Amino acid sequence: MHLAVSLNIAAADGQDVLDFGQISTFARQAEAAGVDMVIISDSLTSGEPSTSPFEATTLLAALATVTKKIGLVASASTLAHQPYNLARRFASLDIISHGRVGWNATLRQSPLEAANFSRPAGIPNDDFRRRAEEFIGIVQGLWRGWDADALLFDKAGGRFHDPAKTHVLDHKGEFFAVRGPLNVARSPQDMPVLAMSGLAGADLDFAAGVADVIAIEEPSPEGARATCDDLKKRVLTAGRTPDALKVLTTVFAPDLTAARLEAWLGTESCDGLIFALPADLSAINGFTDRIVPELRRRNSDRSAYYADTTLRAHLGLGDGGAQ
Amino acid sequence: MSARQMKLGLFLWATGHHIAAWRHPDAHVRAGIDIDHYIALARTAEAAKFDMVFCEDAAGLREANVNIASQTSRSIGFEPISLLSALAAQTERIGLVSTASTSYNEPYGLARMFASLDNLSGGRAGWNLVTSASPIEAANFGATGLRPHADRYARAREFATVITGLWNRRPAGHDGESFSVRDPLDIPPSPQGAPVMVQAGASDDGKDLAARTADVVFSAAQTFEEAKAFYDDLKARLTAYGRQPDDVKIMPGVAPIVAATKAEAQAKYDALQELIPDNVGVALLSSYLSISDLGRYPIDGPLPELPESEGMKSRQALVIEQARRDGLSIRDLARYFAGARGHWRIVGTAGEIADELQARFEGGAADGFNVMPSWFPGELDAFATLVVPELQRRGLFRKDYEGRTLREHLGLKRPA
Ligand SMILES: Cc1cc2nc3c(=O)[nH]c(=O)nc-3n(C[C@H](O)[C@H](O)[C@H](O)COP(=O)(O)O)c2cc1C
Repeated sequence: MHLAVSLNIAAADGQDVLDFGQISTFARQAEAAGVDMVIISDSLTSGEPSTSPFEATTLLAALATVTKKIGLVASASTLAHQPYNLARRFASLDIISHGRVGWNATLRQSPLEAANFSRPAGIPNDDFRRRAEEFIGIVQGLWRGWDADALLFDKAGGRFHDPAKTHVLDHKGEFFAVRGPLNVARSPQDMPVLAMSGLAGADLDFAAGVADVIAIEEPSPEGARATCDDLKKRVLTAGRTPDALKVLTTVFAPDLTAARLEAWLGTESCDGLIFALPADLSAINGFTDRIVPELRRRNSDRSAYYADTTLRAHLGLGDGGAQ
Repeated sequence: MSARQMKLGLFLWATGHHIAAWRHPDAHVRAGIDIDHYIALARTAEAAKFDMVFCEDAAGLREANVNIASQTSRSIGFEPISLLSALAAQTERIGLVSTASTSYNEPYGLARMFASLDNLSGGRAGWNLVTSASPIEAANFGATGLRPHADRYARAREFATVITGLWNRRPAGHDGESFSVRDPLDIPPSPQGAPVMVQAGASDDGKDLAARTADVVFSAAQTFEEAKAFYDDLKARLTAYGRQPDDVKIMPGVAPIVAATKAEAQAKYDALQELIPDNVGVALLSSYLSISDLGRYPIDGPLPELPESEGMKSRQALVIEQARRDGLSIRDLARYFAGARGHWRIVGTAGEIADELQARFEGGAADGFNVMPSWFPGELDAFATLVVPELQRRGLFRKDYEGRTLREHLGLKRPA
């Protein structure tokens, strides 16, 4: 069973915001408990005004330097970034973290964004969806721009890289034209992990074809099982093996009674759980005091996790470059 | 503290500023994929009390010809805001300045990134505003190509107005030619109030924007006279915007090669020059001259007449002026240019380099310098251990940080 925690740094619930020391302590505690990944989101994707001093991807870069094993995933919006810039950023984060990074692409349009990103008239939902799909395709395409053996570092021969092993993308689509290649080397895990959340029915087939992780929200383990089965069928239809996609159910950690925690941990409702936390000290302390000991008790053998360092390996995903 | 002291920035670029840096036997050739290397460089600069590290940036490859590009180390590297965010957690005092483009970002998004970096570092962030002059970058952001110089600067002016408004909590709401922003910034200010504004434009539009908005100005100048003329010009422009000469620190680039004796320094320089393939040198020169086909002119002949650039106007003028002044062939010029892209090069002992820096600093041609080591880590180490102590001995550079934020290091006011 895969386990993740998600921290919405924007949703501070009127409490004091978390500083960097508190967030990094929390990430290290989650790491020590064998959690696969921490997912950080911020205001622009949650739609609420933030009081956090941090934006998710910059915070992730700093967290990467104070953790060693745990996966680090940040939300970043397809409206707030250009695909080339976003691809560079996550490729860089992946190198900084030695292959532990993922991008959480939310397909739910935030009401705050269009108005602050020079689109006062907003974007129709259908356009937003087609645009996001095109965007994700470009990002993944750019991530494949450098072959694994492209860098030669041949000082004497004067050959830094092999030009035949870099590829232009030359994308020309409805919303974007992007030539490439990326000016960041290939990711240590071939491609950063692509997580998707906030999916509507119309997004599911697309997501099943490209995502490594899908986060779902279901009130019960039974409901989660059904949604998971549906997604795995779509994965097969998309021509991938069911294991190429991990479906994780989001549960709101502060609401979990001992019995409900037991029910979620005791049922193989799908591939695993995401414990969602608001970014306040009492919530993260509640998680470390109450839930972490339970995880430790059940996950006494996380040897695979400790042997490997990339997020793809933690999640049991194949390499990202095979396609 | 009594006398005025110079500011020092460490200009980071790939394996070093010399185009052949990566081929130096001791250069760290994996710089572009090794975060620990950058952490070590930043710590060296911090131990030497530099004001800041500075990352250049381009949102695309630096060279279009893949065969040329593959003979340099500049096609891969870290996206700089991510890099500096990582360094923020691994350093204590040094300023962290990243380049970012006004042509390929939105002000609200960039305001958030830099505000976050500023908070992660406890008030040590700065933004080097560039308009992005390369058609290679343009092709990663649409099919319409590089926009004309004047259009890029019009957008940059509006961008600067919006982003400083967001950082300085001016009343929300902007509806302009290129951007519209409804809400205030959702990230609170850092201990320095707002990130430091850096600019390196040297055209008329560029200098004007700098005079209006920048706290720090980077420049490229070969001779004392050029540096002095730029300095006086920029400081004179400040009055029009109600600013004082001291509100802006002008920091020209300098590419020193230092050793215990002048002969040793010269030998180090010559050895690096030997590593430049001719086609790479000519291609680099061509890209800064915004001309695609310099390679078709005789390499030992003079520079041809060139049309005025839509790219970096000022650097083109600088190069043409130097070629004329020194009567250089394309080959000579290309080799010289490959060493530091038209920036000031000094080869000598610590004492000689300190003399030169002192002369420009005290002669009213610079408030400090953007130090451009030829290769990493060796030439940074040499500067930090040989030149910095000499500057400190002369009272020209700090022995310890006076404050905690980048604004404090630079002696800048908090933004209003
Ligand atoms: C020290 C220094 C660093 C610069 N760094 C960058 C950079 O990282 N990215 C970039 O696109 N331009 C960079 N430039 C170019 C300037 O932003 C500017 O375009 C150039 O000096 C020409 O001036 P103009 O834009 O006013 O014509 C740099 C210039 C200098 C002097």
